[in-house]
Amino acid sequence: MKDRLKTTIDYLKSKGATYGDIRYVRTTTESIKVTNETVDTLAHDVDQGFGIRVLIDGAWGFASSAICTQGEMKKVANRALQIARASALTRRAEVKLAEAEPAVDRFETAVVVDPFEIKLARKLDLLLGINKVLGKDSKIRVAESSMDFYRTEKIFVSTEGADIEQTLTESGAGYTATAVDSGEVQRRSYPNSHRGDYGTGGYEFIERMKLMDHAERVREEAIALLTAPVCPSGPRTIILDASQMALQVHESCGHPTELDRVLGTEISLAGGSFLTLDKLGKLRYGSKLVNIVADATCPGGLGSFGYDDEGVRAQRFDLVREGMFVGYLTSRETATVLGQKSNGTMRADGWNRVPLIRMTNINLEPGIVSLNDLLADSDGAILLDTNKSWSIDDQRLNFQFGVEAAWEIRGGRKTQLYKNPVYTGITPEFWNSCDAICNRDSWHIWGVPNCGKGEPMQTARVAHGASPARFRNVMVGVDQ
Amino acid sequence: MIGADRINSILQTVLDLNLGDQAEASFIGSESGLTRFANSTIHQNVAETQSKVYFRVVIGRKIGVASTNSFTAGDLKRAYRSAAKIAKVQKENPHFVSLPKPANYSKIDTFFDGTAKFTPRQRAMKVKSIIDRASKKNCTVAGSLSNGSGELAVVNTLGVSAYQRISAVSVNVIAMAANSSGYAEGLSRNVEDLNFRAIAATALDKAARCASPAEMPPGEYEVILEPAAVAALIEWVNYIGFGSKPFQENTSFMSGRIGEKITGESVTIYDDGTDSSAIAFPFDFEGVPKRKVELITNGVARGVVYDSMTAARDGRQSTGNALTPDATGEGGLALNVFVQGGKSSLPEMIGNVENGLLVTRFHYINGFIDTPHAVLTGMTRDGLMRIKNGRLKGGVKNLRFTDSILRAFESVKALSAERQLINAWWDSLGCIVAPAMHLGSLRFTGQTDF
Repeated sequence: MKDRLKTTIDYLKSKGATYGDIRYVRTTTESIKVTNETVDTLAHDVDQGFGIRVLIDGAWGFASSAICTQGEMKKVANRALQIARASALTRRAEVKLAEAEPAVDRFETAVVVDPFEIKLARKLDLLLGINKVLGKDSKIRVAESSMDFYRTEKIFVSTEGADIEQTLTESGAGYTATAVDSGEVQRRSYPNSHRGDYGTGGYEFIERMKLMDHAERVREEAIALLTAPVCPSGPRTIILDASQMALQVHESCGHPTELDRVLGTEISLAGGSFLTLDKLGKLRYGSKLVNIVADATCPGGLGSFGYDDEGVRAQRFDLVREGMFVGYLTSRETATVLGQKSNGTMRADGWNRVPLIRMTNINLEPGIVSLNDLLADSDGAILLDTNKSWSIDDQRLNFQFGVEAAWEIRGGRKTQLYKNPVYTGITPEFWNSCDAICNRDSWHIWGVPNCGKGEPMQTARVAHGASPARFRNVMVGVDQ
Repeated sequence: MIGADRINSILQTVLDLNLGDQAEASFIGSESGLTRFANSTIHQNVAETQSKVYFRVVIGRKIGVASTNSFTAGDLKRAYRSAAKIAKVQKENPHFVSLPKPANYSKIDTFFDGTAKFTPRQRAMKVKSIIDRASKKNCTVAGSLSNGSGELAVVNTLGVSAYQRISAVSVNVIAMAANSSGYAEGLSRNVEDLNFRAIAATALDKAARCASPAEMPPGEYEVILEPAAVAALIEWVNYIGFGSKPFQENTSFMSGRIGEKITGESVTIYDDGTDSSAIAFPFDFEGVPKRKVELITNGVARGVVYDSMTAARDGRQSTGNALTPDATGEGGLALNVFVQGGKSSLPEMIGNVENGLLVTRFHYINGFIDTPHAVLTGMTRDGLMRIKNGRLKGGVKNLRFTDSILRAFESVKALSAERQLINAWWDSLGCIVAPAMHLGSLRFTGQTDF
């Protein structure tokens, strides 16, 4: 395969391409979902192809195909060149790329137990067993448990001499109990909503979650929510659990620091960003406790890899330091606007998609207080747990997030349970109201397998390290 | 294009290996291109040739699914054998009765050569014309223009043999002025039907009208929703309520309420894959013919859409709304949703509002807050305007709404006769057809800074 890719690169050079790369991707996917003790999804998919990105006449072209023959590669290379020349019809300035050392390397996710070697029967037994526990009470109308595994093999070759092979393995699982009674619907999930938790690694990731241990609690909490009072509205001190903190980081820090959004190239779908270039190094994004880093090198993080899809090595860098907004996620093209080199965040969700700036592991660094001490110091606060709904404006300022459950904190403990909690705010005001972040004991990297962006739509697998944190004077509920 | 005969014969050859009691192969192939622009320049321009073949093998009531994007005989047989191997270790699915039997399909013209062959250069020229028009108005533009063609085929061992070729083109334009923006879009199977000039002009006109937007406090407002705004609400309402899965799980606002009045009397919503005035498609991914399915008629809940498995659970026939075999667990989903129009027009509706808002579109709606009451939240975007004494009175800074859509649809005062095709996430297989809608009340619960 690599010979064919290199021959195509030589062809692009012979055609006068300023820059070109070709990326071969083969992804194997296994998805299992069990609903009410019936296996309703058990699917295996193999998907492979290549994509050619080319820069000529100062403009981009990209073409791709699933047919991986030498002849098809030449045909697709010609199509990419033709498309780039069409793009140049509206060119305002030539595309420039920041320098990048062409790497020759191989990267592989560390895997202890290959998830594709584990027998299906074993996976089904676990998911069915969880279903059985969740469904023990007739009020649980839907018991759903699932697992997903991905193996992605990539070869990246460029006209600059990059030659990179990667094999990434990703695993994830989770479950949800939905309780229904008298027109009321409530759900609880473990370890997170949106199909659970995900990471790079093998079946050992699934085993570490101790899925079965939490099923009874999840069932009982879903049932308890049916008769819980509605979460009272008004300005409150809130504590977000670690998984909801991850969602908060994702929507209100991760997306707005994507430099392509800032420069306007995502306007046609997801929107822009309030973190405009004039705010870099000047905006107090959050309180002094808030430190947010992008780190594609975290072992086990779902946003971890060796090299991005422009061949730039995975990196760790600051986005917010002591509350100040100090960095963007960049590509080779966008980094030139800042006079910088790319920090390696360009990823595509397959061979048939052009790489875009995507979050890696965007982590809220842990603070110093223990969770027990935080709860003891938060009498009257509301603890908000596990994401249920999410919405934010197209500049990433006004957000409204809902969670599955909320508890009032009294005497350092969770007391009254509330249903249908939502909270809302404006991003910088919200982060500036942060006055405590829990320590590493309750810090975890949460995998988000479904981050959407781009046209055609691309789904990225990203992650966020977070621990529970406290925010003051946040609007809980909506006045309707 | 591979063609019906060749696809059918290749898939049939694989199914002839006969590894299960029943088996099905479905093929989806496409050639597509997309040009994306922002800051009045093309920044992304892509092409893709892709295909996917799903095999579903049934042994007793055990079902295995495997898929591949390679159309070589060896890879197809490998995927088919994988599906059979999975079926063997599967658990019995008590809801499975049978794969669908052969049927007749509506003859609908869903392919236009001019759309399929629309070149990257032609796309770039259309984009350039939009950019040039915007420059004259001191605006920049962002958006995308995509076109493509495809083939879908379903064959099974009971004799189903369905094939259809399609084309589609869609464009969206956001005009950006100093402190305002405006939006317009177009969608068709035939590129000749799209009036790019008018779409650009609408987006530019909105951006101009919304200059220096004023602040209005959150609260309950009378609103005119343009078709894109109506469609965004319907997309979520469809997802949480009109499919068989949420209906059977009792999480839908339709569950247990069939025959009850759930919205205002002027609201009629139905699914119809056979209506060639929209993005029609004659069969689903199991090869079951599509037909008109009443969802809400004159405000009364009438029914939901099914695939064959969920239909059997309710003792019904599939309505032709199955998704791809890897998503069987999701039940049926309506992909060709129509909101019935009324007798009014957009200018007439605006003229009837004393003090209210016009919403061009919504952004980032979420409907998981309280599904039995269809509570949605979302932001306005690219053209929120004030209406005062029957006239548009400039732009308004964007607002967040949070409301039960059943409650809001209880207050429908008028619907436009004219309806628009609005693109949905399921792309070239369907769309939402929506009129403009005049609501007596929509609750806005928050505001933002632009």
